[in-house]
Amino acid sequence: MRPTDSNRRTFLRAAARAPLRLLWPAWMPRLAFAQAAEDPRGDTLIVIFLRGAADALNLIPSHGEDAYYRARPTLSIPRPDDPRSRITGRAIDLDGFFGLHPAMRPLLDAWQQGQLAIVQACGAPDESRSHFKAMELMERGITSEVGPASGWLGRHLATHGGNNHSPLRAIGLGETVPRSLYGSVPVTALRQLTAFHLNDDPRAARQLRGLLRTLYQEPNEPGEVGRETLGVLELLEKLDPAGYRPTSGVNYPDSEFGLGLKQIAMLIKAEVGLEVATIDSSGWDTHFVQGGSSGLMAGLIHDLAAGLAALHADLAEQLGRLTVVVMSEFGRRVAENASLGTDHGHGGAMLLLGGNVAGGMVHGSWPGLQARQLVGPGDLAVTTDYRDVLAEVCELRLNNRALAEIFPAYTPTFRGIVRTSSDPVPAGT
Amino acid sequence: MTLTRRDLLKLAGLVTAVAGLSGCSSLGELLAAEPRARAASGEFVGSTEEYRRLARLSYGPTPAERARVAEIGLGAWLEEQLAYQSVSDRRPQLRWRHLDIVSLEANALAARGRREVTQALKRTTLLRRIYSHRQLYEVMVEFWTDHFNISLDKGDGWYLKVVDDREVIRKHALGNFRELLHASAASPAMLVYLDNQANRREAPNENYARELMELHTLGVHGGYDQRDVMELARCLTGWTVKKHFWLGEFRFDPERHDSGEKRVLGRVIPAAGVHEAEEVLDLLATHPSTAQHLAGKLVRRFLTDDPEGQAPELVERAAQAFLASEGDIRALLRVVLYDGLLARSPLPAKFKRPAHFVISALRPLAAASDGGEGVQEVIAQLGQPLFGWPTPDGPPDTAGAWSRALLHRWRFALALARNELPGSELDLDRLLAAAGGGRPAEVMDHLGTLLLGAPLPQVARDDFLRALEQTDAAAEELPALALAGLIASPAFQWT
Repeated sequence: MRPTDSNRRTFLRAAARAPLRLLWPAWMPRLAFAQAAEDPRGDTLIVIFLRGAADALNLIPSHGEDAYYRARPTLSIPRPDDPRSRITGRAIDLDGFFGLHPAMRPLLDAWQQGQLAIVQACGAPDESRSHFKAMELMERGITSEVGPASGWLGRHLATHGGNNHSPLRAIGLGETVPRSLYGSVPVTALRQLTAFHLNDDPRAARQLRGLLRTLYQEPNEPGEVGRETLGVLELLEKLDPAGYRPTSGVNYPDSEFGLGLKQIAMLIKAEVGLEVATIDSSGWDTHFVQGGSSGLMAGLIHDLAAGLAALHADLAEQLGRLTVVVMSEFGRRVAENASLGTDHGHGGAMLLLGGNVAGGMVHGSWPGLQARQLVGPGDLAVTTDYRDVLAEVCELRLNNRALAEIFPAYTPTFRGIVRTSSDPVPAGT
Repeated sequence: MTLTRRDLLKLAGLVTAVAGLSGCSSLGELLAAEPRARAASGEFVGSTEEYRRLARLSYGPTPAERARVAEIGLGAWLEEQLAYQSVSDRRPQLRWRHLDIVSLEANALAARGRREVTQALKRTTLLRRIYSHRQLYEVMVEFWTDHFNISLDKGDGWYLKVVDDREVIRKHALGNFRELLHASAASPAMLVYLDNQANRREAPNENYARELMELHTLGVHGGYDQRDVMELARCLTGWTVKKHFWLGEFRFDPERHDSGEKRVLGRVIPAAGVHEAEEVLDLLATHPSTAQHLAGKLVRRFLTDDPEGQAPELVERAAQAFLASEGDIRALLRVVLYDGLLARSPLPAKFKRPAHFVISALRPLAAASDGGEGVQEVIAQLGQPLFGWPTPDGPPDTAGAWSRALLHRWRFALALARNELPGSELDLDRLLAAAGGGRPAEVMDHLGTLLLGAPLPQVARDDFLRALEQTDAAAEELPALALAGLIASPAFQWT
């Protein structure tokens, strides 16, 4: 498809005066730049969902409580000073009452730096103990079936008035976009960043990009948007998860979860406009031979903790503008079951990681594990609604005050789990 | 018409001048002062406008449809389309006949698998939009689907919406609004989606009552207040869905109904059980604010993003026609289309929403499609998941909501051009053969005519070819790349 030389000279000269302007027909709108109201951008938020109802009681054992050991003769995590168990199998003490599962050791640094917070006895009002129902309600951010079909994160993105139009504003790592992100702002599910390339064939992608650069030259809004999108694409072409080098010394676990976190870290460092990322860790429904300090659940915890610790270290410079929330649909039964596992429970825990988290502390009011303190068939009570935590993050860390829309029919109570950036960091952390 | 080099440069110079002016409203106006230049560009502007009109009355005009319009005129074609039941769809129907589970009743659907049911609904919807000869009817089905938005993702909506699509939307899309409204209010899908099935005397739920007034009829400034919402919710108590025989059907439960007098929009509604809400529905269906609201939405759909600013008299006239005809949707539509879309020149631009954009690439290029997950996923990635909009207001209809999400449109353009879209197939060779000769300029002219309504002006076309030349694409790769470029271009995003 090569024009003759004389034709070439002709239209090269014409082109110099009117590059593809006539591909912009007369009837197309001459739009002024949109004047959008600006909310200042807040932290990048990463929401990690532990699918299957993670056993918070073994993740953060209340080693200071006898009832814990009576209820779980086989599965309990030994006390920090228990001489009968190997040191590496004992709970890591946090505050004399609560401890960490030994496999959480990689996160001890973050805890001691005041950048890891725990909220105990946390959860939702729903008592169905059904994974499907509880997850749906939690991701929709509502108390019962009645309410918006969108997700709480989708509503956050829709109500935040920032001017972020990056195609990578919100991503869901995984096959499908999680319910929490459903809303009017388009979100992409991606297993890998290649989903953002124009084509799997890099040559074809590059050729179209070249053509698009010429097509979107106009000094108007559509041209602007086109050029911004091309900019993101060009950036992404340079990003290669396989070749990505985290901060020196950081090693992400070699699992799907680890790879997902690594890609998120890469996107954050590349400053492509990522505001919200969600990622799942699955397999936490440990009805059967759950294991204690070692075994099935310990393996899951190891992946979680190693991944989070790697993220924490890799993004050391970005921590001041990062908040990570770890949550699960509910907790598990206090007493172990006959199969050396645990059944569905009620109250659980949430973890938060970030530079402005009130870390190094366990938040929430602990109801206790004695029989009379339990609810239903023997479950931990909920004393902090999960929405209190998320609402506080939305307002104080994400600069979004539209809480009534994000969590309809609910009035959240802030509990000092995160700080605004201007709050002084308490001495000693 | 051959242009001398001087004409070309003059034209190019004029275009540059226009581009520099901020106050000029159209190239056509400026060129009117230059008769020779106008003759050069007049064809482009003129024929494209009719194409653009047809592009809004369909999901992307096929050559056959354009030929028919050229033969009988757009007005006559429009009348044919309005009498949609007389338009034969026998052959297109063969493509979705096997998905006939969409004609089952609610309890039969509930017994089938969720995936099977939702896929059948989505596939038939897309296949109809792509292949049906009743294009305006399908456009209006989408309009009412959005207006009475219901998401498949909530509760039992996954099978209830299939019945709603058939018995509420499709049955009344070009019928009478009052009947459409009554059908929607009693639709189990709607009762579940907006929580009215839980609305009862002891625990009133206002969700549906509010959206019924705010979104479905009067509009947010239509002259109702919070008390009206509460009173209407009281009228609607007991409007619920059967959970046993027969599952998924409407049921009025007198036990849950809040009897006693209500007062809605200044009218006293005496106790009358199920008939109370019916009386209010009649009131809403014939209310002047409803007429304004619907007229405004249709003017926005077909003419301009700014009905209040650009076409206030048209909205008024259309509203009057609606009221005078007692809610006849076709009467309303005729005013909007004949006095608006077909009459207004220059025609304001409309940005193509995701589903429309995707199908407007498939139809003119005669791309075959199975309406399946391949194309569904593209449309969802572009932001308009079929039957998946989570909020009752439905997907927005202004450029601002869509015009910034280009990346996946570009991805689609390249995937379609390279035949990498699962479930769809493009016969590029046949397209090139139809272009005749295969010379680059002719190919571009042909593709431009198919996709944008007219060949590109020579300057633009040659520029495009030059940009293609600057890529490292081999000769045999160029047609697909050119096609991708056209589909991804700014011009193709608009009608």
